[in-house]
Amino acid sequence: MKYLPLVWTAVMRTPMRTILTLLSVTVAFTLFGLMIGLNATFDLVADRARADRIFTEPRFGGIADNGMPIAIARKIAAMPGVKVVTAVNFVPGYVQDPKHPVFLVMLDGNAEKVVEDWPISPQVWSALRNDRTGIVMSKSQAQRWHKKVGDTFTMISKAVRRADGQNSWTFKLIAIGDDIAEQTNGYVFGNYDYIDKAKPVADQGKVNEIDLLANDPATAPELAQRIDRAFANSATPLQTTTDKMARSGKDFGGLDVKAITHGIALAGMFMVLFLTGNGIAESVRERFAEFATLKTIGFSDRSVTVMVVLEAALPCVLGGALGVGIAALLARQLPGLMPPGFGLPLPTVSPLVMVWAAVSAFAVALLSAALPILRLTRMDIATALSGRT
Amino acid sequence: MLRQIFIVSALNFKSLTSRFWQSMVIVVGLAATIGVMLSMLSLSAGMQQAYFNAGDPGRAIVVSKGADNENQSNITRAMAPLIADAPGIAKDKDGKPLADRGLNVGVPVLRKDGSKGQTTMRGLADKGLGVRPELHIVAGRMFQPGKREMIVGVGAQTMYQHMQIGDKVILPDGEWPIVGVFATGDLLDGQLVGDTETLLAAMHKTVYSTMLVRLASKDSLDTFKKALTTNPALSVTVERHSDWYKRVANQNTFGLALLGYIVGAVMAIGALFGCLNTMYSAVSTRGREIATLRALGYGAFPVAVSVILEAVLLSATGAVIGAGLAWVLYDGKQDVFGGMVFHLSVSRAQFELGVIWAIAVALLGGILPSIRAARRPVVEALRAT
Repeated sequence: MKYLPLVWTAVMRTPMRTILTLLSVTVAFTLFGLMIGLNATFDLVADRARADRIFTEPRFGGIADNGMPIAIARKIAAMPGVKVVTAVNFVPGYVQDPKHPVFLVMLDGNAEKVVEDWPISPQVWSALRNDRTGIVMSKSQAQRWHKKVGDTFTMISKAVRRADGQNSWTFKLIAIGDDIAEQTNGYVFGNYDYIDKAKPVADQGKVNEIDLLANDPATAPELAQRIDRAFANSATPLQTTTDKMARSGKDFGGLDVKAITHGIALAGMFMVLFLTGNGIAESVRERFAEFATLKTIGFSDRSVTVMVVLEAALPCVLGGALGVGIAALLARQLPGLMPPGFGLPLPTVSPLVMVWAAVSAFAVALLSAALPILRLTRMDIATALSGRT
Repeated sequence: MLRQIFIVSALNFKSLTSRFWQSMVIVVGLAATIGVMLSMLSLSAGMQQAYFNAGDPGRAIVVSKGADNENQSNITRAMAPLIADAPGIAKDKDGKPLADRGLNVGVPVLRKDGSKGQTTMRGLADKGLGVRPELHIVAGRMFQPGKREMIVGVGAQTMYQHMQIGDKVILPDGEWPIVGVFATGDLLDGQLVGDTETLLAAMHKTVYSTMLVRLASKDSLDTFKKALTTNPALSVTVERHSDWYKRVANQNTFGLALLGYIVGAVMAIGALFGCLNTMYSAVSTRGREIATLRALGYGAFPVAVSVILEAVLLSATGAVIGAGLAWVLYDGKQDVFGGMVFHLSVSRAQFELGVIWAIAVALLGGILPSIRAARRPVVEALRAT
């Protein structure tokens, strides 16, 4: 600690250099925080994915199809090892203009049991059951459409028509729930029963997805295969996967998120390493005679080393802390910048991310101080004092 | 004036070697920035290229009204002949219109790394090859119409498992063998292709997805479009094939491109501070030299310009290194994103974009130090140690 005044004077010798270095390091760590934070979110989602939850959907085609017969849900419910089954319908559409897409998920009465880990209270579930046109939105979606509880929400769906041939749907927002990491675009959900009965008779009794819980998480993968096999030769072959299998922790549409984010964070670190390394080398070169004086009056190599490391660490650690802080603030804004439906999750600036940032900051500081220190410990005091370096 | 700028800058660049590591801060900063940005943009650019290659301006696509992509579109059996008989379509040798009833079905695949993905299974009908002459078989043979067989694109074959000739694709009515491998040089390379009518029967579907027609001439789009949109029996949208894919490409690559630009912009800001730092210290290191020049009668402006030129030269060098690295590492590499197989692309346009970004950073990072260099009183600078 006694070196602090010395270090401080050294740092403030060229305030411009210190400030510019600090700013550059801050920016690099902002990027670091966002990238490693993105990883943290993928890990979090993979960790939280449930081994006993199973999703099944038609193997072929897309949501433009009317869906599969709801009878499949009943057949699956009757299979051994199945705890509870819920039918899900999608209502893809937009608000006012196709540029503002929205995606509604319509759930039946069993949903509450299948997605019990969602941040939705029993009161909200029962309110939803009592209000046929009711919907629940995540905070991010409510913000996007500027809606509050009690407002009506009108959307157009080209894919899902009403019995009277109209394609505009009006719902009532009855509750706003917390966002969930795995629902990267937020969520809007309503009543399956309502949407089903409101459709033309020919389109009724169809579902887009069936979600279920297995009795035993250990046998869930086997159950998923069993479901696929049972319907392989039917008119609607299925594609079934467990929640756990679907979320590997790094896959984004086929891209290896880990490799990409690590690469970007590393490039940022490399950039600042050159900057801080140069800064500290220059600072030591300018004060070579001063260091010689310090050594003459009895400062050991160790003390000089500590001083140089501290000088290098100051902008790295301070910039690292500032950068990660800014990343935490920006993280909330990032998904908003992306086009709707892009599905980029919110980076989580978790404690682990901060630890990695701190480790990286110290590593950059040590690496950039290494060469100047080597020079200082090997310096010939007399030559240095004479200024003939 | 120009002569002065030249002399001062030349002197400048000669002394660069003595400031090598300091200058490397700018070079490395910009190399990292542009390298990362172009590597990320190689994704969206590669995808875009795959779409653009598929869009032939001599073709028109017909989709049901309101469909933004082929999978959302429905063309009924009753509509198909009305579309095929419309004016403006080129005729095949047999005198029939070159109009193809297409089918798009999403199908799950296993990527080479074992993760689950999705691709498109496409149906081509009797005029399929007439409308898409770019599709050619590179191994095995073409599927036979009416038979349950399939051909696979070269891209799908390399990126997905179980896509070799002889492998079977499981469809609702049984297993379809893969009998051939095709190439088109566009997004179809990542897909599977079979016979439309046979696929329809297998999928228990009754409607086609789209109609793709070869126009009689590039100018006959309006005739064709007018005939379809004024026909009350049809509710369709007609678009030139190239325009359609331009729109779809923008829709589907915008997010990725934006992400690349955001990361590039953040890194550029970091590099900018590094550039400012280096140029300020360069100006102070060269204080005496500059003052001497000024004392000899060189103007303030040439001195300022020489500082900016140095920043630009170093930044542009960095950008070229970064872009070169991105090019060596990624250009032409096959990749897959969201059900599409394509080749990553670091094109000349992106190279230029990278250099322009770097020059912008250099200008921003060079201007303030250059003003300081030019305005520093000569006497004071000469006295400084």
